[in-house]
Amino acid sequence: MLINNGFNEDKIQSPLRYIWSIFKSKSIAVLAMWAIVILIFISLFASWIVPHPPLLQDPEQMLLPPYWVEGGTIDHVLGTDELGRDTLSRLFHGVQYTLGGALIITFFVSLIGMTIGAGAALTKGVKASILHHLLDALLAIPSLLSALILITFFGPSYINCLIAIALSLLPQFIRASFLAIEQELNKQYIIALQLDGAAKTRLFRYGILPNILEPTITILNRLFTMAIIEIATLGFLGFGAQLPQTELGALIANSMELIYLSPWLVAFPGLAIFIIIIIVNVFAEGLRHAVIEGEE
Amino acid sequence: MLSFLIRRLNLLVITAFILTILAFAIDRTILIHHQTKAPIAQDYILQYFAYLWDLLSANIGHSALNHQPLLQRGLTFFASTLELCFVALLFSSIIAIPLGLLAGLFRNTKLDYAIMTIAIIGLALPVFWVGVMAGLLPSVWGDILPVDGNMSLVYDVPVVTGFLLIDTLFVTPQYGLFAFFDRVAHLILPAAVLSFFLIAEIVRLTRHSMTMVMRSNYIQTAYAKGFSRTKIVFVHALNNALPPIIPQLRLQLSTILSFAMTIEIVFNLNGIGTWLYNSLKSGDYHALPAGMLIITGFILIFSIAIEIMMVIISPIRRGSLYAN
Amino acid sequence: MALLDIRNLSIDIETAQGKIRVIDKATLNIVDGSIHGLIGESGSGKTLIAKAILGLHSSNWTVTADRMFLDKTDLTKLSVKERRNILGTEISVIFQEPSSYLDPSQRIRKQIESVLPKKTWQQRFRPILSKIKRVSVPSRRLQIKELLHKVGIQNDVAVLKSFPHQLSEGVCQKVMIAMAIANNPRLIIADEPTTAMEAVTQSQIYRLLYKLNQLNNTTLLILSNNFANTSSISDYMTLVYCGQSVESGSYKQIMGSAMHPYTQAMLKTMINNEEFHEHKAQLYTLPGNIPSSNQLPIGCRLGPRCPKAQKICVKNPTLTIKKGHSYRCHYPSKLS
Repeated sequence: MLINNGFNEDKIQSPLRYIWSIFKSKSIAVLAMWAIVILIFISLFASWIVPHPPLLQDPEQMLLPPYWVEGGTIDHVLGTDELGRDTLSRLFHGVQYTLGGALIITFFVSLIGMTIGAGAALTKGVKASILHHLLDALLAIPSLLSALILITFFGPSYINCLIAIALSLLPQFIRASFLAIEQELNKQYIIALQLDGAAKTRLFRYGILPNILEPTITILNRLFTMAIIEIATLGFLGFGAQLPQTELGALIANSMELIYLSPWLVAFPGLAIFIIIIIVNVFAEGLRHAVIEGEE
Repeated sequence: MLSFLIRRLNLLVITAFILTILAFAIDRTILIHHQTKAPIAQDYILQYFAYLWDLLSANIGHSALNHQPLLQRGLTFFASTLELCFVALLFSSIIAIPLGLLAGLFRNTKLDYAIMTIAIIGLALPVFWVGVMAGLLPSVWGDILPVDGNMSLVYDVPVVTGFLLIDTLFVTPQYGLFAFFDRVAHLILPAAVLSFFLIAEIVRLTRHSMTMVMRSNYIQTAYAKGFSRTKIVFVHALNNALPPIIPQLRLQLSTILSFAMTIEIVFNLNGIGTWLYNSLKSGDYHALPAGMLIITGFILIFSIAIEIMMVIISPIRRGSLYAN
Repeated sequence: MALLDIRNLSIDIETAQGKIRVIDKATLNIVDGSIHGLIGESGSGKTLIAKAILGLHSSNWTVTADRMFLDKTDLTKLSVKERRNILGTEISVIFQEPSSYLDPSQRIRKQIESVLPKKTWQQRFRPILSKIKRVSVPSRRLQIKELLHKVGIQNDVAVLKSFPHQLSEGVCQKVMIAMAIANNPRLIIADEPTTAMEAVTQSQIYRLLYKLNQLNNTTLLILSNNFANTSSISDYMTLVYCGQSVESGSYKQIMGSAMHPYTQAMLKTMINNEEFHEHKAQLYTLPGNIPSSNQLPIGCRLGPRCPKAQKICVKNPTLTIKKGHSYRCHYPSKLS
């Protein structure tokens, strides 16, 4: 193979490849990435990989502590609840509900929000003005409150809870993406592109999208974090997933009366939420830093 | 300045108008959904204006359960929510601003990484869970801090301002300072839990702001003038780094209130969150639009107050005002 | 007499792709009381050299120099604090885009005041002193006013009251110059002082700098990418290409007997009216582009673009010095 590298002229890498090469050098971020892959795997195939069915009751083994504490068995690694159901299996299914729900919300909200945000940034006049005032008004409502209002209408259930959270997070996302795009629009190269006669879609695709990577990662990360916390909060308050569904927040709420008897049942679901958010945040931070370094 | 004020107030009026429409819509939907009797008339526009008139005369309606006026009840509860937020904000600012400044100043050092790790952990902790776990503390450390309620039941404090810290100080001299300290003790744990999120947020904002300022050209000038690093930080950097944090934090206000409401429910504090939660659980849905109007009204007025304050204290903002 | 004497200054910067030698053995010799032009294209490392002189480099730089003397003090041997004391009193700087180099949240008065020498006790008790004895102690306000008038700002009261964003770039640059000369420094480094300014303001600033040099005998180091503009006021010039100083000498030596191909190219790019230009003839430029900092050629960095380059140019040429005229080239030749 003929490789002509005698003049020390490295091939210039494509920006995405370059960012990837920087990202690869950050070991914690790469670790977080694999952890995310595992988490998604768990949430997709929870039913197949759990050691016990999450609803299987075992009257022989009730309220077992985790196996490293006196009285625990290796059969139930994280112990059992008051009906003898295996905590680990319930946690895996909880991850399915919580993480899966958050991913779905993030996907749809980012898709719709980006479209509306870009539309608002690229149009001017009455339409944009109406949207702004509407956003101003909606943003003043705390997301928990708007989720509560929506659930009052829809009735409490897991799906309704997802819809309510998505709708309550949408204004924030639209505003954030709008601001990011708006900032980009004032840059010189965008004006140059506009003077070249680029159509709006072309302007967005080639001028704006590659340059808002870093703020997009930040707001997506934020959206995802808020989605998880809200799903769990609503589940905890009893407005989200209903009883047989093992959503992580609902798990905590169910075990509240047993908190002094078996604090594990409350601690583990919370820890699971915490770990999921940490992993995603570390990944997002690593990615963001790689993008920043790649752009410099 | 005057034109700016008018423009802001104009925005306030329009936004408030949209919000009242929303509240009206919610109110009517609840009526249709949950009331057995059929709606009287279909003329919504007339009904809306009647509703608006009621609002302007400070009457949102009455509770379906105990027939108390919703506005007064809601405001009283909201006052203690605000109290919680304020204490948490004060507490977390004292901790987070110096941390954020240090992280920004020593960017990409071990200190920075340590502080940012704290920030990420604070952001990742689900508040309600931390609240629940904090409820376990008395069983571990003994009864040092109370974990539920606004204050001990032995004190009977009349509602004057709604802010219990103020009421206990000035309205009830018969208890001396005991009532006040009792209230403070009841606030400590919830405020600490709320601070987790706030600290994380403020550290991030401060760090970002500080890094941006330390990279800017006028810091170079200051170095070239032969100033020491300490002098540069105190004379040039702080003045420019701190003011931008306030409007950034203002954007988080509704999130903070969200978390505060959750914490109230967990700690069984009397606040707007508990009030709405209990109303919903007992089927008194009319509290919802009332609560929404109170919270959003506060956020709107507060935002504008912040914006006006920023224009007054920050010369850069004033400059950009003239430019537009 | 050399005020600033730098031999073989090298700067390495740590980047993601490893260490890059951005400044390669630059040599700079500034004569006391002269105007010295440091000329090079943007990205050639002029600002880096200036920052190394000031000691304002960030932690991922390694600066090495065989000799770095300001008059009789060895800059490399000074502690950070001593180095800081020199800044503002012995050396001061003015930058390009001056409005961004002024603190946006402070009034101009406060910023100028901060560079003035500490108040003497006489100044502190001026109101009392002037009553007791008939001594005239210049007040702070008078000092600032004088300073502003020196740099050609007439409406000093209005300027002092305003914030940087309320002033034009030209006025901001004058304020920067006023702050730079407040302590009568011996050397002023001007980093492209007139970029992005109107032509009238540009010539004003240049005239002001020239006047400073003539009246106060302040030595000036002007960093610029404009060969034609800067050469007209400089007594000495140094040309930099890609972090290597290629040629250095007095105005006469450079303009009359340039030895280095790069300098000759720069001379050819100047449009002068005496010479006969053929109708529709192309203006002269060197072929090729400036290499990016992570793909620098080895040896003489001009190599790939040089019209005279030969095999030996992959080795770094040694410095030739003749009567203060120094250049680095394997095939020096006079322009015919």
